[in-house]
Amino acid sequence: MSGGTFEALRGQLHEAATEFADGPGALEGILRGIVDDVERAVREPLEIFPVCHHSPASAIAMARRLREKQPKVVYLELCEDMAPLLTELRNCRLPVAVQAFATEVEGFPADWSPLSVVAPVTEASAEYQAIAYALDTPGVELVLVDRSSDHVFQWETRQESRPTDEPDSGGDGPDAAPAEAESALHGDAVGVEIGDLRPRFAELEEHLLRHGRVRHWSEWWHQYVELPLGDSDHDTYRQVMLLIGSLFRRLAPGDEPRVRIDEDRERYMWTRMREHLAATGTDPADCLYVCGAFHAASRVEEFGVHGSDTFTIGPPSGTRWRHGLIPSSHAAIEAQFGLAAGSVSIAATEWTKNLRRTRVRPYRLAGQAGTKKTTKAARPAPALPAAAAPAADRLTGFLQRPPVLDPLDEAELLGWSVDIVRAARRAGYLASTADAIAVFETSILLAGMRERAKPTPYDFLDAAVTCIEKDRVPGRRDVRRLVEIMMGGDRVGQVGYDALPPLARDVHDRLEPLGLRLQQRGVQRALLDIAAQPALERCSDVLWMLRRLMPEGAARPIMGERRLGERPIQESWDLALGTHQRALIELGYEGVSIEQVLEQRLRRTAYAPQATAATVLEAVEDAVLHLRSRRLADELGTHALDVLARERSVDGAPEVLRRVRRLLAYYRTAEPVLPPWIESFVKTGYAHYCTLLPTAFTDDDATVRQVAAMLGFLFGMEGLALSLGCDRTQLELALAQSHPADPARTALLWAARSHLGTLSRTALRERCDALLANPLVVPAYPRYLSGFVHALEPVPGLADFVVEAVSNAFARLPDPVLLPWLPTLITTLRASGTELAPLLIREAGRVFPARLAELDSWVPPWRLPQETPRVLPEAAGPAAGSALLAARPATCDALADLLGYDGTWATPEPTATGAALLARHPATATALGELLTIG
Amino acid sequence: MSDLLRAPAEIKYAEELDWLESIDDSPKPFSWRLSPKMVRLFVLGSERADGLDREVAQKWFGDRSFVERSIVTLASDRGLLLIGDPGTGKSWLAELLSAAICRNSTQVVQGTAGTTEDHIKYSWNVSMVIAKGQSRESMIPSPIMTAMESGTIGRFEELTRSTSDVQDALISILSEKYISVPELDGAGGENIVFAKPGFSVIATANSRDRGVNDLSSALKRRFNFVRIPVVTNKKSEAEIVRFRTEELLRRHQIELDVPPTLLDVLLQSFADLRASAAAAGSDDEKLESALSTAEQIGVLEDAILHGNFFGEHALTARTLASSLVGSLARREPEDLAILNKYLHGVVEPRSKEEGGSWPEFLEGGRDAIATLS
Repeated sequence: MSGGTFEALRGQLHEAATEFADGPGALEGILRGIVDDVERAVREPLEIFPVCHHSPASAIAMARRLREKQPKVVYLELCEDMAPLLTELRNCRLPVAVQAFATEVEGFPADWSPLSVVAPVTEASAEYQAIAYALDTPGVELVLVDRSSDHVFQWETRQESRPTDEPDSGGDGPDAAPAEAESALHGDAVGVEIGDLRPRFAELEEHLLRHGRVRHWSEWWHQYVELPLGDSDHDTYRQVMLLIGSLFRRLAPGDEPRVRIDEDRERYMWTRMREHLAATGTDPADCLYVCGAFHAASRVEEFGVHGSDTFTIGPPSGTRWRHGLIPSSHAAIEAQFGLAAGSVSIAATEWTKNLRRTRVRPYRLAGQAGTKKTTKAARPAPALPAAAAPAADRLTGFLQRPPVLDPLDEAELLGWSVDIVRAARRAGYLASTADAIAVFETSILLAGMRERAKPTPYDFLDAAVTCIEKDRVPGRRDVRRLVEIMMGGDRVGQVGYDALPPLARDVHDRLEPLGLRLQQRGVQRALLDIAAQPALERCSDVLWMLRRLMPEGAARPIMGERRLGERPIQESWDLALGTHQRALIELGYEGVSIEQVLEQRLRRTAYAPQATAATVLEAVEDAVLHLRSRRLADELGTHALDVLARERSVDGAPEVLRRVRRLLAYYRTAEPVLPPWIESFVKTGYAHYCTLLPTAFTDDDATVRQVAAMLGFLFGMEGLALSLGCDRTQLELALAQSHPADPARTALLWAARSHLGTLSRTALRERCDALLANPLVVPAYPRYLSGFVHALEPVPGLADFVVEAVSNAFARLPDPVLLPWLPTLITTLRASGTELAPLLIREAGRVFPARLAELDSWVPPWRLPQETPRVLPEAAGPAAGSALLAARPATCDALADLLGYDGTWATPEPTATGAALLARHPATATALGELLTIG
Repeated sequence: MSDLLRAPAEIKYAEELDWLESIDDSPKPFSWRLSPKMVRLFVLGSERADGLDREVAQKWFGDRSFVERSIVTLASDRGLLLIGDPGTGKSWLAELLSAAICRNSTQVVQGTAGTTEDHIKYSWNVSMVIAKGQSRESMIPSPIMTAMESGTIGRFEELTRSTSDVQDALISILSEKYISVPELDGAGGENIVFAKPGFSVIATANSRDRGVNDLSSALKRRFNFVRIPVVTNKKSEAEIVRFRTEELLRRHQIELDVPPTLLDVLLQSFADLRASAAAAGSDDEKLESALSTAEQIGVLEDAILHGNFFGEHALTARTLASSLVGSLARREPEDLAILNKYLHGVVEPRSKEEGGSWPEFLEGGRDAIATLS
């Protein structure tokens, strides 16, 4: 702390501290410490260039400095593993984010998966300037020096909690970011940014906002740093940024873990830089170190080219990281880093304006997508002689200067006022020229009131809201949003085809025959007439796989479905691959083709510890349906067998039944012989469910539906199972062992026994009648009925009886019992409606009269006299009839005469019907008599 | 001052306004008594950084930008319309602004269904007209006309309660800035009353009245709308309630402590009820009350007065609960059912978990509901 450049400033601060804090003390310590920090950083032989994120002033200063200094090595505060991707930025329309992504986590808690780190890059940023300069200037090396993505999470592990994003500021205030799809572009990734500069102290930020007469941090920064620094020279810029970095650092609460991470990062970066300098032998004077102002004011031992080498960088964990570029947007950046809505857009506008005003030539990657001019890029400007003299004290002057006037000029304000009125009119507001005048006037008045000579964009925003917004918003957008759009609006980046991972490129290639521009954002309709163009079937395959793998809305079928054993004819799809580009890119981290990713996912699902037989069968079905892979289906099917054998609950029974039925139906039609695994599955399933049946009938946890599904499996697969060597006795024994207490299950058991033939229909009817006749059990009757309704699944032949039972319930149950049960019946039928309801309705349609008129005379079939008595009279028929005819022979005689038949009447023998037969055929009786007499 | 039940802001804060005027050296628009910055300071209170010799108390609690936008509007050509739910402090802000700008906040027209154009423009003193004929002497100017003549602020409370044709009388006042009196002779310009510089109108409108008497587009155009939201920030709300309660206690000359825990109970219960109102599907499922900050103050006032005059000169959670139920239960079955549900569903578990004043609050609430039902 010897006398130096900043000695005069130190003196002044000492006086100020003495005056304001009643004597030199803590305040002086802080103030002088800040000056020390600045001086230390300025003295460092390796030039430190402090930046702030999304700051056009930083970007301008950076462009200027790069042209002036032409450094040979640029060290950048960005995760070191992201380096190979940076050159791909030229294929993208900014803003995009560099992403490191890992799904297979090793060394971190499993529930953190997938791990994702994003570093958004906008054009109006200092880091982009540095990247563009370094990548496109021959002989310049770009070295990323910050901890790797792996370390981001490694260091967070020490805190025992999932890393959270930056503190959310103003999230619930009037400036909260609109909840739109664009703001969710980064997913739940952890954001890293170069130059995160913001007070760590909520009180400090509040204080700054209050005294700056601004509403949020972005506005404060714009007003008090961005604008004053806009036109300043390099030394001033550097010293002021260092000062701010040091101020926020010193006035930070002692959040131990956070401070430790920050300091470790600084140690990491300096260690890496020294390693690089030593390895390449570069002169530190030819290098530039670009880092956040916060880190530039570091006080760690390792700081500087001559710092101590005491930090050891830990090895990475076993996690396999993949890298890519994903689209980003201003809204996403604002949401992730807690910036006010619209602030990044305003920064972008400011950047363009500053470029025009200062005539600084920015660096731009050659062939940068999304820009008009590319010729200017990377043309090394003649190197200006770098300032050889040691940096002078620019801080004193800067701190003593009155607030700099906002360069928003009158013509610009006028233009904005007119534009916003036009935009408002288009949005349905009744705005007129008078409003433009009022907005203009109000902006100036507001600026005056907030002690600004000229209005800022934020004043203009307030003025527009005051003058144009009335009691209701006529359209979709309010005035605040309109102003944001006018200021440049949200810009959504796009990753170019060449920068996409192989999988994403492959998807685009394979969907090429559709003739759509799928890179574009928004929903596009694809029509696939596969019957006419069989080649489109391949596209259809891809689309169904995308639907399975990507989030809702990326690929949505409007018409057409894919089922086992069916071939597509015509399909139409709503595709939004451009909008969901991030999801597609993240798929690309998992494999090189979607088939591979799908196979991996299916395997992962099937082999997951919590997988059930039903989920494994689903995976089998998907493997057949999407991959047409017999190999995978067989493998997963065999696994399903294991899973089923291990299962002790019957929760998945309905699903297992449904899927096995479908797969069986498919294999029976599509394959010459059934795959061995499905035969074994049926066999094992038969035995498995037989074993579990008695328990399931009494187990309270198993629902009636599940038991019904078990019975469905047993009865439905019986034929196949028996042919494969199963024994029906097992089932009969299982049923005999079942003694349910619950009425619904009892009914189910009765139904099962009636199916097996051990309980006749008459007996079943009698049991139901007995239930209805007994006033003590009548209240439970509906529950029996529920059991019967479920029994339709395993025993569809019982449908007529179920109709009868339900009809009886309606006819005979008292209202207090019947009415509360009706909703249960309806919900049961609706829940399993697709299978049971049609069956029941068809049967009811058959039983009940079709017309109203028939209803009066209608008797239910079960009330009709039974058919058995009708058979008996037939046996005695001839005798009874002939007696009558013999008594009244006239009619028959007349008829015989008419027909010319000359017959005679036989004499009836009323008593000996059996003896007559014996007399006519005596042989048997004679033989028997002989036999008996012999004996 | 003490013989006024409620002194208007310019009388109540007369001394402070005088002092501010004496130190104000910034340019003042028109005939304003204070510069816009000083008006803001008067309304929002001072801070250390303002470098003033004395502290100026905060009088209106809310977002700074609302106040700034309101002041700026008054300095411009347009009228100011404060719009918001009942009890959000619109009228109080209007009063403070008028008091600070022109030291007169009493030039008020109250909008009702019975408001006529005469209330906005002028009427006649019938006896004088009979005696002396129609002249400026026999004319009774409305508060708005008085404001025009003196270049001060006129106020129009509850603008949307008056019928549309009456509202439209304001259109010419706000655009031409004069009122013609056709009954008078044109010689000497007697038949026109011109507004002096500094004249403006602050109107308030209740957003719950929307659709009763909608403002015409022409009138909307002449007003800048500043929407005052319901205060949902617990910290500011606590400050408002504390501020108003202190004022109230002073007015009634009551010496009674409001325990901070009870204030918390009140704020929390309002926050809960607001959340349930926000989640309600139909009007029957939410309280009729708007649950504004003003109603909170009303509940507290009621409880304090009750505690002071009928209780043991202390505010208890029981009294607070019965005031809450009494103030909020307006419809017999619906509101009582909601409050009952609230007490049993929210307060009861909380009283078991947190204890403190909640058990007593619960008991008081139950008793009050039992009495009412």
